[in-house]
Amino acid sequence: MKKLDLSKDELKKLAVSAIGFVVLLYVYFGFFLGPLRRSQATMVASIKDLQDKVGSSQDTLTNVTNLEKQASAATTQYALLTNSNPEGAPIAWFPPRIKVFFANKQIDKAIARLEGNLSYKDADLAGWTRYNWTIDLPQTDFSTLGYAVAELENTEPLLSINHINIHALGEDPQFQQVNLSVATAILKR
Amino acid sequence: MALHLNLLHEEILEQRLRQRDPLKIGMLVLAGIGALMFLWYMGKAYQTLSIRNQLNTIQEDWNKIEPKVTAAQKRSAELKGIIGTTRVLDTMINNRFFWAPFLEKLSRCVALNAQITSIDGTVLDDEKNVSVMLEGLAAGREPRAAAEELRQLLLEQLGQSYHNVNIEFKTLEDLDTLVKIGGTNMATARFALSVTFNPSATAKGASPAPKSPKK
Repeated sequence: MKKLDLSKDELKKLAVSAIGFVVLLYVYFGFFLGPLRRSQATMVASIKDLQDKVGSSQDTLTNVTNLEKQASAATTQYALLTNSNPEGAPIAWFPPRIKVFFANKQIDKAIARLEGNLSYKDADLAGWTRYNWTIDLPQTDFSTLGYAVAELENTEPLLSINHINIHALGEDPQFQQVNLSVATAILKR
Repeated sequence: MALHLNLLHEEILEQRLRQRDPLKIGMLVLAGIGALMFLWYMGKAYQTLSIRNQLNTIQEDWNKIEPKVTAAQKRSAELKGIIGTTRVLDTMINNRFFWAPFLEKLSRCVALNAQITSIDGTVLDDEKNVSVMLEGLAAGREPRAAAEELRQLLLEQLGQSYHNVNIEFKTLEDLDTLVKIGGTNMATARFALSVTFNPSATAKGASPAPKSPKK
């Protein structure tokens, strides 16, 4: 094997070349290829993310179409329930509505008073409020009251009578004085 | 022996020295490697550009779809909310206690010789039970029996529609007052009945009557 016979000057030049090579590698990988690879990796990840989104978007659109079909009955019923109550503060429209209702049932005097309101604990009813009312009917007869209560319960699905008090008027026993405690679910607007 | 004279000896030596100059060789090697690296870099840059084009295409597609998807997700959440709310409202509506049928049954049970003077009914939220307190008067030769007859009739009538019906006297006392029914004076008794029942459809099965112990 032939031995390399390098002079001191040649060794110095060789060392400079080696250092230059290392610097070249560092610059190449550190400032050129590295950022390029990072950029590529970021873009590939973005592409994957977008592809996933585009892929799942088709499912989302299909699901919504199916859900729309399935929820048609619920949507109609929900619209009916929400539209049954007018906008505005319930205390403004509920007592007059009750007064008109009982007047149409031959019970001339009906007074509805707001007892209080509270939010529902159920998360599904977060947008609804329970209003408690007292309805006083100072004079009515039992039969008329029965029909009126039946009509009230049938026409107001979101109204429930929690307490009923009927007592005969002392001086006129065919007539009764009635007090109803009712609760209604009303959409917050 | 012929004498050889090399007159270019110095020049040849210089040329040889130049040829084996390590710095020059190193520079050449570096240039070669640099060229290879540059080519590699260009290849990678081209690849990056093509990925970027692909990303831009997908991004454009997504930008077209995104408003629809966002609207669909919003609508989906809205629909799920509507379905949930309607389900809960339906339960509330179906679980209501209807007082009108109860009042009708009560009116059918009250005979001519009885009078209800007060009805006080409450729907108990905790157990979905209904509690009603009835007060009234019963008249007859035996007014207590007339009151008991009313209790029995109520028990029978309410038992047809409701579950766990329980009716018991809270008070039953004779009065000194006489009333005229059909031209006949009859004694009266005042009663207070406590009525409780469960209006829900999922009632427990009737428990069998207890067997009488054999003697």
